[in-house]
Amino acid sequence: MPQVTTTTTLHVPSMLRGTCGGMRRIEVPGATVLEVLEQLERLHPELHRAICDETGAVRQHIGLFVNTDHVRDLAGLGTRLGSGDSITVLPAVSGG
Amino acid sequence: MPERVVLSIGTKKGLFVAESSKPRRSFRLRGPFGPGVSVYSTLVDERSGRLYASSCNPFFGMKVLVSSNGGSSFKETRSAPAFPKDDGRALRNIWSLEPGNGRKELWAGVEPAALFRSDDGGDSWDKVPGISDHDHAHKWQPGNGGLCMHTIVRDGDRVHLGISTGGHYLSEDGGRTFSASNRGIGAGFVPDPYPEFGQCVHKIARHPAAPGRLYIQNHGGWADRPGIGVLRSDDYGHSWRSIASGLPSDFGFPIVVHPHDPDTIYVVPLEGATRTCPGGVPAVWRSDSAGASWKKLTKGFPKKQSYFTVLRDGLDIDEAKSPALYLGTTTGQLWIGRDGGEQWECQFDSLPPINVVKVGMI
Repeated sequence: MPQVTTTTTLHVPSMLRGTCGGMRRIEVPGATVLEVLEQLERLHPELHRAICDETGAVRQHIGLFVNTDHVRDLAGLGTRLGSGDSITVLPAVSGG
Repeated sequence: MPERVVLSIGTKKGLFVAESSKPRRSFRLRGPFGPGVSVYSTLVDERSGRLYASSCNPFFGMKVLVSSNGGSSFKETRSAPAFPKDDGRALRNIWSLEPGNGRKELWAGVEPAALFRSDDGGDSWDKVPGISDHDHAHKWQPGNGGLCMHTIVRDGDRVHLGISTGGHYLSEDGGRTFSASNRGIGAGFVPDPYPEFGQCVHKIARHPAAPGRLYIQNHGGWADRPGIGVLRSDDYGHSWRSIASGLPSDFGFPIVVHPHDPDTIYVVPLEGATRTCPGGVPAVWRSDSAGASWKKLTKGFPKKQSYFTVLRDGLDIDEAKSPALYLGTTTGQLWIGRDGGEQWECQFDSLPPINVVKVGMI
């Protein structure tokens, strides 16, 4: 049986599109959010650096949503992805 | 011959550049560059005429900005300092940028406290393990501003580092190895008044022509341990003694040395509790005797109701024959102290909160 690789659509916020050639959406393979981020590091390292620090942790003020749910309300970076799922990257609300 | 005086002003909302001809009658302001992102370290590199600034975004990470046209525009260097993946630490801020020996060599002190070096003008960076992986590193504790390496003072093979809170570290082999060198530097927040390391050093300064004499603005303001806030070393930083007598407070952040006299220094005493000017009356204090006595400089400053805070890199001095000081406040004022601080005037009144002011002549 050939292994089927899930591909997820990653939505890139406008302020980070300069790190990935202006793309609004990127198709990234991976069965979990972590695998998508690992692939993103390979495909678009500058965008990955904007989302994750050098330990691989998602930056404190970045929100990752699988469809409409924040990954912290799911299984974190271990959240499994299925066909048709999307990941949206959003900066957290802040002021001052 | 340098023709322009350039100020790089790092604020909570980005970098500003102010420029004047040598008489320094007025400054033209440009910016903000890296808008919306706090800037804690800048460098006017008089070797190359380049300007550098950190731009550390809590959302999207660390950047180093560089300008090759005197601060008219900035671009990002190819990379910023970053810990190796297996290190386990993640960079949170860049607190210090200093020139190295080579024309394109730069040093960066960062948070969490570590040192990085670049040989190509900031396009690539290597961690300096002698201090970044020092046996003491896991025992250093963050102060109110974070666990930061904020001061790099170099003198040939001698490298002095200021870490808050870690204290003063000294290398005498070009930065290969470092030792804590805190004899005489007190701490008010641990049981041992003079620990081997862990002091909350705020800033270190020295004159390049007198490398054996150094000054520290330490975290003073302790009623039970008076006088530990302002210190001098006459032996290349191996031992330190108080020079705080005569000041209204030994708490403060910056300390600056006159460009033409190693015995003339400037501090900005603040009340320890509020970190603002004592009594709401701003003043810079100058010693012309390496700390033996002090003179209060207030001419031009408000006489009352002005609670300035000046951070560790909020004071600098140019190298003109009659030098001017530049003082930035967290309430967004940029003051110029002409004639070595004898006469002050507010050049910019409403900038964002100022973290750092550096001056260069290019």
